[in-house]
Amino acid sequence: MSDRKLPRLLQAPAVLMLLVWMLIPLGMTLYFSFIRYVLNSLRRPEWTTPSLSNWRGLGNYEFVLKNKDFLLAIQNSLLIVCSILFLTVILGVLIAVLINKTFPGQGIVRVLLISPFFVMPAVNAVLWINMILDPVLGLQGIAVGNINDLLDSLRSAPIIGSFFSLWPELNPISFRATQTSAYAVIIMVTWQWTPFAVLIFMTSLQSEDQQQKEAAVLDGASTWSQFRFLTLPHLGRPIAIVVMIQAIFHLSLYAEIEIVSRGNGNKNLPYLIGEFANNNIGAASATGVFAVILANIVAIFLLRMVGKTLME
Amino acid sequence: MAIVAQSSKFSTYGRPVLAWAVGLLFFFPIFWMVLTSFKTDADAVKPEHLIFFTPTLENYLNMTENYDYWRFARNSVISAVFATVFTLVVSVPAAYAMAFNPSRATKDVLMWMLSTKMLPAAAVLYPMIFLAKGIGLYDTHILIITVLSLINLPIAIWMLFTYFKEIPKDIIEAGKMDGVNTWGEIKEILVPLAWGGIASTALLVFIFCWNEAYWTVRLTTIDAATLSKLIEGNRAPEGLFFGRLSAVSTAAVGPIVVLGWFCQKQLVQGLTFGAVK
Repeated sequence: MSDRKLPRLLQAPAVLMLLVWMLIPLGMTLYFSFIRYVLNSLRRPEWTTPSLSNWRGLGNYEFVLKNKDFLLAIQNSLLIVCSILFLTVILGVLIAVLINKTFPGQGIVRVLLISPFFVMPAVNAVLWINMILDPVLGLQGIAVGNINDLLDSLRSAPIIGSFFSLWPELNPISFRATQTSAYAVIIMVTWQWTPFAVLIFMTSLQSEDQQQKEAAVLDGASTWSQFRFLTLPHLGRPIAIVVMIQAIFHLSLYAEIEIVSRGNGNKNLPYLIGEFANNNIGAASATGVFAVILANIVAIFLLRMVGKTLME
Repeated sequence: MAIVAQSSKFSTYGRPVLAWAVGLLFFFPIFWMVLTSFKTDADAVKPEHLIFFTPTLENYLNMTENYDYWRFARNSVISAVFATVFTLVVSVPAAYAMAFNPSRATKDVLMWMLSTKMLPAAAVLYPMIFLAKGIGLYDTHILIITVLSLINLPIAIWMLFTYFKEIPKDIIEAGKMDGVNTWGEIKEILVPLAWGGIASTALLVFIFCWNEAYWTVRLTTIDAATLSKLIEGNRAPEGLFFGRLSAVSTAAVGPIVVLGWFCQKQLVQGLTFGAVK
């Protein structure tokens, strides 16, 4: 076989599989988004099978755009992704700089730190929302209860009691409400992905030019300016990569939302699509197209930022 | 460097203390889950038994009775193992070709593969259900294995590509001179040389398959349901079953977390496409 054919042949299964995987379902989503298609309809049984005669044009898109949940879902998607990115990058840089120097037990600390990353998302969500954040039975509830008990006993104490009687009782936060459940998701995903950022930044820090640093020290540069002018620029590329990879994963965040916020109004795009898909396939597909567009905007933006450095 | 070492008390005392505090803080939820798994359901919600309690194995012994744990675990093992094998069978030849016989299109193909990862899964949710039900594969191992392989293929190819690129071309060329055919090249030369890279790719793909929680939840009901589905189905125990839920969660994530400890370095290279070293 010729030199050129064989490599193509070896790549063919992978390329074909991904091509089919991309084109067929996506094509169907596009098709369904332009027709009336529902799973159950007593009034209009003809809408329950996909057919071109049920053409709806841009009607599904209009329906979705006018749906108040849609804007909320986009806002929520962006709020969740951006907050997680912001928190993981900041925490990641700080922790990486902290544990990058040798100290007793460095290896164990690394193992402790990386562990959350391998916990499956479903367990992560169930663990946090029940055993940690629950306002009554979780650690949060227990802690708030204990503080209130302490305040109570201080109030009845002589002399200082009058001072503490001014303090209000603490109320535990319910993380199952609409807005707060988004925060719960942000907390648990940040917990899971900060280790990933730390790991990547640490790897990158190990290749930092030590001679340059020593020179800076001899020149009397402060710790802050060493960090600001040497370490931070060195971390530019890893930060870009961490942002890119996390954006890919978190735009399709699902298990956490499903577990924490089912039915309470806190939705992101994947969740909203799932909700529509229970009956209104046309609307689910139109929302899907919007999700693809959003992902593409983010992807183009990110690939511009990172793409070149990947291929070096 | 002596100047730096002497200059701050922070390096001697502050850094280790702070670093340990951060490490323990991040590990705490996992520790808490494991600890709770040894409490009875009643003890698990009593503040007075927060730390002091009589440990029991009952939650682990009753996993089958309470949750039918082993059936879900078996499904997870089957899907993850076969998906990993299948992913490797497809991605090793592809990455081999890209690394050793790159054409002008190779870079674009790689970038395109990466971009398939950016396609939000939810966008094609209903077509997937439609197709799966249409060909009678809904809620089967074959479907889950196929989907898991497809979503991990781009990452596997990228990882392997970055490993293979490091292998000197001459070695492969030498094999060609000796008249070894392509299959022989892959088997006799590439695999032994890149064994570490292939193994860590496999490990990472396995972990991703195990933890996957979109398609495994949406495309299964009972027969092919994995541990993600099991846990998702018990999302809100309202405090009644913290003990048994912790046990089943610990059993579901324990092996993977331990596996993860051993592939930290590979994780970095794999997930950053070799861009961070």
